[in-house]
Amino acid sequence: MADVNPANWVDDYGDYLFRYAKSRLRDPGAAEEVVQETFLAGVRYSRQYSGSGSERGWLMGILKRKIVDHIRARAKHNQELVYEDEHDPSEQLFDAAGNWKPGAINWSPPPDQEIEMQELQFVVQGCLETLPENQAAVFVLSAMEEMDTDEVCRELDITPSNMWVRIHRARVGLAKCVSAKWQVDQNIGTNEVKQHAK
Amino acid sequence: MPNDKAISHLISQSMRRKLDDEESARVDSHLRESEEARKFAELSALIQTSVSGTSLVESSGDQNGLSQEAKARLKESIRGAVQQKASLSQADSAGSISASDSGSGRLHDPQLAETSPVQKEVGQSLYQGHENRQAAASFRLVRPIAEGGLGKVWLAQDEKLGRAVAIKQLKSQSLESPQAWQRFHREAEITGHLEHPNVVPLYFYGVDRQSGEPFYAMRFVGKRTLSDAIEEHHDRVEADEECCVSVHRLLSIFQDICQAIAYAHSRGVVHRDLKPDNVVLDNFGQVIVIDWGLAKVLEDGELATKLTSDALLSESDLLQTMQGEAIGTPLYMSPEQAAGELNKIDHRTDVYGLGAILFSILTGKAPHEKSVVGTPPDYSSDLNSVLKIIAASDPPTASDYGKSVPRKLENICVKAMARKQHMRFDSAVDLASAVESWMAGQSGKQAAYDALRMEGRELRADMQATVRDMARNIRFAAGMPSIEGLMKAESDEDKQVWRKRLATVFQGLLKATPYFRSFVYIAVGDGQFTEQVRAERHSSDMSTIRVVPRSHLRSGQISEFVQRVADEMPEEVYTSVVIDPYGDSQEGCATDLRLVSGVPVYDSETEDVSGCVMIECEINQLLRDQLSRGSSAAEVVVACNATNRVLLQSRSGQIIDTGQIETVEQIADHFLTAVETLQTEADFIDGQDSAIFGATLWFVPNERGISYLLRRK
Repeated sequence: MADVNPANWVDDYGDYLFRYAKSRLRDPGAAEEVVQETFLAGVRYSRQYSGSGSERGWLMGILKRKIVDHIRARAKHNQELVYEDEHDPSEQLFDAAGNWKPGAINWSPPPDQEIEMQELQFVVQGCLETLPENQAAVFVLSAMEEMDTDEVCRELDITPSNMWVRIHRARVGLAKCVSAKWQVDQNIGTNEVKQHAK
Repeated sequence: MPNDKAISHLISQSMRRKLDDEESARVDSHLRESEEARKFAELSALIQTSVSGTSLVESSGDQNGLSQEAKARLKESIRGAVQQKASLSQADSAGSISASDSGSGRLHDPQLAETSPVQKEVGQSLYQGHENRQAAASFRLVRPIAEGGLGKVWLAQDEKLGRAVAIKQLKSQSLESPQAWQRFHREAEITGHLEHPNVVPLYFYGVDRQSGEPFYAMRFVGKRTLSDAIEEHHDRVEADEECCVSVHRLLSIFQDICQAIAYAHSRGVVHRDLKPDNVVLDNFGQVIVIDWGLAKVLEDGELATKLTSDALLSESDLLQTMQGEAIGTPLYMSPEQAAGELNKIDHRTDVYGLGAILFSILTGKAPHEKSVVGTPPDYSSDLNSVLKIIAASDPPTASDYGKSVPRKLENICVKAMARKQHMRFDSAVDLASAVESWMAGQSGKQAAYDALRMEGRELRADMQATVRDMARNIRFAAGMPSIEGLMKAESDEDKQVWRKRLATVFQGLLKATPYFRSFVYIAVGDGQFTEQVRAERHSSDMSTIRVVPRSHLRSGQISEFVQRVADEMPEEVYTSVVIDPYGDSQEGCATDLRLVSGVPVYDSETEDVSGCVMIECEINQLLRDQLSRGSSAAEVVVACNATNRVLLQSRSGQIIDTGQIETVEQIADHFLTAVETLQTEADFIDGQDSAIFGATLWFVPNERGISYLLRRK
């Protein structure tokens, strides 16, 4: 067993774990909650820290598990809110025949200018927070935490087809949101977009 | 042909799964044809890249972190978790209890079902080369068996080993108190560190995962306590049942307790709640000291460095958890405890407690019972005033409770319970040794007393045998045809013939039995008696037997003794001690007292008593013979029951002839209690010092008899 030093955890890893949790849970309160659960579990199972990896990595492993637990619990709580599943942003992008509406994706980065990833991430983060809960849950577990389809379905108690529908709606919604905000960014300035993303 | 919407689904899925060839071809074709599709695919790929892994976090820099308030909250919760873990570290290292089914009264072990592979791995890294073994434990609660101030004790079944164990749980009322948790943990830890045959062995300490309540498993030692044994012993004494073995057993138990406490002292632990209730006796003679919940761990003791910090609960914290419980039971409390002088508590406090237990064994009472009125825990006395009395008073003695106990043992008790600590025995071992040496002496003394008692009873039995022998001979003589012939003979010649024949029989009987003094046949009638035949030994030459000539035969008024004989039914023998069977007065004792037996002779025709056959013995001679056979006693006195007059006396095997008639009290005060007891009892047993034994033999019930009094060397 390697030594752990819980007294320093908040100062050393608190912000990092919090940001990670917030990016997945999209709620500062929930993020602080899972970070706290992570630290308490770390104290309780400190003997399991072998020292072979970094202390932060070990805590991150616990945090990821806590995030999944949190999302699962929240999804279970929201199971009755079926209307969210019915929220299909693709209706705004496709016509009745299922073809792209003209200008549906207003995405036109300058062809000779490299995209500033940090700027894009601010925009994406802001858009993530607008996703309906059930779509966000699937997107976080699948796209962000890169869990297998089976795992996601098991954690959220949904079928694979349901999962693919939800993740597609999430991607379409994000694409629409990001493209719209990116356009604004190009027009009124990056700083204001950043501000908005916060 | 799929529409744009269907293709966009495939584009979405392609980022998380590999499309098959047909799907890929369809998507590629669509991307070439549709700008919207290309924009969607390109943007979705960018979004996927931006959210993968920790890229979102890494890009956030120092912004969007925790607020200072949130950090403070987190630090506080971590601090609490660390403290809680420290308090349960013992449980963790032993393999903590993690699951519970309280509904079925089942307590069972650890997180092993879920995490045993991890545990094993952890164990290896934890001990760096020393393999760790962790095993599950499971206990099924059967029934509650006891409840104390802090915990509740259950009889439980160890389901792994199939054996009965005792489980002690923290009482639900105490669960809210951190100090109670600590004290409970501390009790388990101290008990677990005291490995001694007379300290209850602790098998397991853990925390029930579901309820979170701590408990520990220990050997089930039954419910019978020393308190029960003491009560039983004194009840038997009250009922005059045999008690000597019981006292010996109780003192042996006491020595075991001393050894257990001496061991605890060697580990730096003072029990300080010693009382008979805290000593359990199992069915196999094992003595177990329990309840180390109030024990004090001496700072410089060996155990102090081995216990966790929680186990070194401060005195104030400990006392805080004791409010309203056993501290209100001052029956066995030492003066320094009663005075609240906690800094003075050391191993000698336990010496006092041991002395208090000894006191209880000897008297059946708790030392401070007189100071405390009422029944625990509802003492009607004011506790503070009781404590003041205990703190200021000298130790009680057995006589304070009207009990007679061996003096040396009482002195041991007084020394152990001395008010000043430095006046007590220096250690529990010293106290045990003092009791042991008393028992050893007592053992020799007891053996000597047993011999004395046997000798006294043999003397009595020997005298009883003489009386039976007399009765047998006299019945034989009374049935001789010579007596019938003499009775019916009318002529002097016939009478002479029958007289000679009867005299010959009497002579033969006298020759056969050396201690018979005389045989006589008397005729009775009209209130008169007349000796018909008398054969007797010479007064100075016992070997000479003579037939008394007719001219010297006696006659006269029927005496009380003869009348008693004549009043008996056929074959019934009347025996008494008298000076002269024909004398009027049968009172008093004399050195020439005779033991006389008589049987009536009935006329077969008239069916009236026509005469008596009597046999006489010189009782003084009988006693001389008995006492001159040698004796293990320092002194033997034979006294007449009616007057306490001494018939014969021997010292160191030598018969003492003072030539004077003395009473028992004139020659030895120490026999007085004995002779008084023997007026109503067959034996006198000296329960205090095992020095005197007395046995009495009544010839005429409650009227005439003799007592043998023996004093141990």
